[in-house]
Amino acid sequence: MIQFIVKRLWYGLWVLFGVVTVIFFLFTVLPGDPARMMLGQRADISSVEAIQQELGLNRPVAVQYLNYLNDLSPLSVHKTNDQNSLFYLDDTKYSAVVLVAGGGIGMVLKYPYLRRSYQSNRTVASILAVALPNTMLLASVSIVFALFMGVLLGVITAWKNNIVVTRLTLVFSVFGMSLPSFFAAILFAWLFAFVLADVTGLNMTGSLYEVDDFGRGEYLALKNIILPAITLGIRPLAVVTELTRSSLRQVMALDFIRTARAKGLSVSRVITKHALKNALNPVVTAVSGWFASLLAGAVFVEFVFDWKGIGVVIVEALEYYDFPVIMGAVMTISVLLVLLNIVVDIIYGYLDPRVRVQ
Amino acid sequence: MMTGTNLLHIENLSVEFTTDEGVVNAVDGIHLKIAKGQTMGLVGESGSGKSVTALAVMRLLAEERGRVTSGSIWFDHPALGSVDLLQLSEREMQLVRGNHISMVFQEPMSSLNPVHRCGPQVAEVLQIHRGVSRSDAKNTVLALFEEVRLPDPARVFDAWPHQLSGGQRQRVMIAMAIACKPLLMIADEPTTALDVTVQKEILNLLKLLQRDHGMAILFISHDLGVVSDIADHAAVMLQGKVVETGNIGMMLNTPEHPYTKALIACRPSPSERPEKLAVVDDFLYGVTPDIKEVDPIKRLNHHKEMYDGSPILEVKDLVTSFVTSRSVFGRVKSVHTAVNHISFNVYQGETLGLVGESGCGKTTLGRSLMRLVEPDEGKVIYKGIDLRAISKQEMRQVRPKFQIIFQDPYASLTPGMMVGNAIMEPMRVHRILGGDKQRKARVLDLLERVNLEEKHFYRYPHEFSGGQRQRICIARALALNPEFIICDEAVSALDVSVQAQVLNLLNEMKEAFSLTYIFISHDLSVVKYMSDRVMVMKNGHMVELSEADAMYENPADDYTRKLLEAIPGATYLPSSHQ
Repeated sequence: MIQFIVKRLWYGLWVLFGVVTVIFFLFTVLPGDPARMMLGQRADISSVEAIQQELGLNRPVAVQYLNYLNDLSPLSVHKTNDQNSLFYLDDTKYSAVVLVAGGGIGMVLKYPYLRRSYQSNRTVASILAVALPNTMLLASVSIVFALFMGVLLGVITAWKNNIVVTRLTLVFSVFGMSLPSFFAAILFAWLFAFVLADVTGLNMTGSLYEVDDFGRGEYLALKNIILPAITLGIRPLAVVTELTRSSLRQVMALDFIRTARAKGLSVSRVITKHALKNALNPVVTAVSGWFASLLAGAVFVEFVFDWKGIGVVIVEALEYYDFPVIMGAVMTISVLLVLLNIVVDIIYGYLDPRVRVQ
Repeated sequence: MMTGTNLLHIENLSVEFTTDEGVVNAVDGIHLKIAKGQTMGLVGESGSGKSVTALAVMRLLAEERGRVTSGSIWFDHPALGSVDLLQLSEREMQLVRGNHISMVFQEPMSSLNPVHRCGPQVAEVLQIHRGVSRSDAKNTVLALFEEVRLPDPARVFDAWPHQLSGGQRQRVMIAMAIACKPLLMIADEPTTALDVTVQKEILNLLKLLQRDHGMAILFISHDLGVVSDIADHAAVMLQGKVVETGNIGMMLNTPEHPYTKALIACRPSPSERPEKLAVVDDFLYGVTPDIKEVDPIKRLNHHKEMYDGSPILEVKDLVTSFVTSRSVFGRVKSVHTAVNHISFNVYQGETLGLVGESGCGKTTLGRSLMRLVEPDEGKVIYKGIDLRAISKQEMRQVRPKFQIIFQDPYASLTPGMMVGNAIMEPMRVHRILGGDKQRKARVLDLLERVNLEEKHFYRYPHEFSGGQRQRICIARALALNPEFIICDEAVSALDVSVQAQVLNLLNEMKEAFSLTYIFISHDLSVVKYMSDRVMVMKNGHMVELSEADAMYENPADDYTRKLLEAIPGATYLPSSHQ
C-alpha cells in the first residue's frame, strides 16, 4: 500500500513537471509584456526596464525557466551573497530554512514560491488561500449531495424496477444532464432566494464569509453554500442516479446474485448486501471525474452566486495574461488531481478486492 | 397426493419463457420423483430444460423471465408437512431456500460474490436461517470447511474468492449448501467447469456428504458418464420433456429411448476406436448406424509409414514465458514459464493430441508454434525453415500454411461481418486467388464441404447455432489451403451430439485436404479418439508422449495414470483395462 502511494506520487511529480513546462513555454510565446501590464499604459521606459530586471524578463528563456522551477521546488539552491542575482535568497519572497550553505550558495527547504500577481501585486499564495478553500468546500458539498441522493434514487429505481418509476427517473436524468449550469443557477437563485425568500431565508448571492456592516466584521455564512451546491450537484446527481440504476440492474443478473437468492435472502437484502458494492465501480469513476472538474472551478455558478472561488480567479487572470496566478492555480489543481486519483484507486481497491494492489 | 417416501414430487410441470422471438416452452409437462436420501441424475443437452426445472423448484424463475404455467412441486416440508412449493408465499419460500433445499451452481468462478470474503458468505446462511451469532457461525463454518476437505480452513475463511482455485471455490459453495443440513441439494453442473481430476474429487466428496447427511441430491449434468459416477437413478431430458427415467446402470446398458442411445453412442469412449462417431440424428430418425472399429493392423501399418517419413514440424527446446511483475522502473521482477523446454516432432498427416489440465501451458504451446505468442528460446522448424529465425515478412509467407481453430465459436467470429466475408477475409489479406469473384466461388465450395449452404454466405454469426459456427470457423481455417491446423479446445464448448458431428467433420477434412493436426483438449476421451499420438503436459513440462492406444492401455507416468483414472463413467461403461 505504502509502496503503491509512493509510486503514484512519484508519477504525479512527473505529471506536475510536465504541466509546469508546457504552460511556462506557452506563456513565453504568447504576446503581452508583464512589465507594461503592471505599470499601466503610461509607463516610462526606465520603470519598465526596472521591472523587467527584477522579474528577470530580460534574461534568456532557459534561465527564466530554471529560475521558475527553482522557485517552485521545496528543495532549492540559492545565492546568499549576490542581491542582484535572480537566484538570490530573498527573505521577502521565501520563507526558507537553510540546510547547507557555503561559498555564497545555499541549499534550502522552503514553501513553493508562486510569485506575485502582475495585476494586484498580491502574492499568488494569498490569492489561492482565499479562493481554494471556497472552491473545495463547494465542490465537496455538491458531490456528496449528488453521490448520496443519486445512489439512493438509483437503488430505489433499480429495486422497484417499475416502468413508471424508471421512466420518471429517466426524464429527470435527461433534464438534469441537459440543464445548463448558468441557467440552473439563475433559475434556482430566482426561485429559492427571491420568490421563496421568506420561506427559505436564503440570499441570492454570497460567499462563505460575509462582511457585516454593523460591526460584526467578517463571519461565516454557511447557508450561502446551499444554492450553489445544489445547482452544481444537479447534473452529477442525474448521472449518478442513472449509472447506479443501470449498473445495479446488470449486477442483479450475475451468478452470485442467484447464489445469494438461493441462500434464502430477500431481494432487499440481496441488493444492499451483495449487489450495491459490486455496482458502485462505474459510479466512482463518474463521480471522481465530476469532482475533478469541479475542483478546477465552476465559473458560471461562482459568478451568478458571487461565490469567491478559483474559477473566477482563473478567468480574470487569463484575461490579463497574469502568468503567476494562472500558473499557481494550475499547479494547485494539478496537485489536487494527482492526490484525488490516488484516493480513487484506493477506493476501487476497497470496492473490489480483485483490483487491490499487493 | 404424495407417497410417504418421496421427498420431492414434480407433477406435470410446465414452464415458459417470454423471449424476443416469442413464447418458448422450456419445460413441457414433466414428472419427476426423488425419494429421501436418493441421488437423482438429470441429463440433457443445453436448452433441454434441466436447469429451468431446478430453478422452478427453487422458485427463482422470475429473475430469468420464466413463468410456471401448470403443475405442482410437492415437497415433504419438515414443519409444514407435504406442501406445493409453487403455492408458498415468498416469505415462506425464503425459509425453504438454503435451509431445506440448497443449490450448487456450475460456475465456481462467478457464483461467489467477488467483493466479500469466503467465510462470511457461508456464515450468512447460518445467520439468517439459524439466527446464530457471528462468532458461533464462524466456528460452524470452520467445521464445515474441514468437512468439505478445504486445506487450512482459517485461511480460506478470510480469503477472497479470486484467491482460491476453481475446485476450492466449489468446495466453499458446497459448504454453503450443506450448512443448514438440507433435505435436498440441487447441484447444477457442479463439476463441468473443473479439471477432470478435481471433478473426481468433488464427486467423491458429494457422495460422502450425501451418505453422512442422508440428504437427497438432484444432480444435473450434460455428461452421462459423470452422472453414472454419482447417481443411482437418472432422468434424460430432451426439448423440455423427460424421455427416459430409471436405474442408471440399466439405462446405460440397455437404453430404451433412441435419444438416450444416441447420447451414449455419440460420446467417444476411451476403450473404443470407431471409424467415425455416431450422431444423434441417426438414432432419432430410426437408423441405427453400423460403425466399424478401426482395424488395428491397418492403423499400425499407417503409423509405420507415417513415422518413417521426415517430420513436417520439429520443435526443439521451446521456452515461452510471461512477465508476472515489474519493478517501479519497469525491470522484470518475476516470470511465469508457461512452456518449459519442450521438444517434439509432428509428422505429415498425423493428429498429435495435446492434453493437460487448465494452466498447464497447452494453449500457449499451440500459439508459440505460430508465433502468436513470441517464444523466448528454442527452435520451431517447419519443413526445414526455422520460424523463429525468419523476418516478419518471411513469416507472413509461411503463415497461411498454419491455421488455428479456437474454443469459443461465439467469440471468434466478428458479429457485424457476414459469414461469407469472414471466410473470404484471410484470402484477401494473403492475396490468394485472382479476385473476389474466384474467392467467393471458393467460399461457396468450402461452405458446402462443411455441410452448410450457399444462402449462409449472406447471414450473420448470431443466426447460427454453436455447432454451425464452429463449421464456419473450420471453413475459414481451410480457406488458405493450410497444411497444418491447431484445434485449440475446438469442440469443448459444444453439446455432445454436436461435438460428434464436428469431430467427424474435422476427420473428413483432414482426409480430403491432407492436413496435419495438433488437437488440444482437456477431454481425454476426445483426444484419444482423434489422435495418433498423445502428449501430456503438466506445469509447462512435457510428461509423456506416445502412441494414443498404448498410452491409455499402459501409461508410463503416474500423472498420466491419475488423469486416466479420473475419466468419468468408468463404473458402467465397458473398459478395456479390466
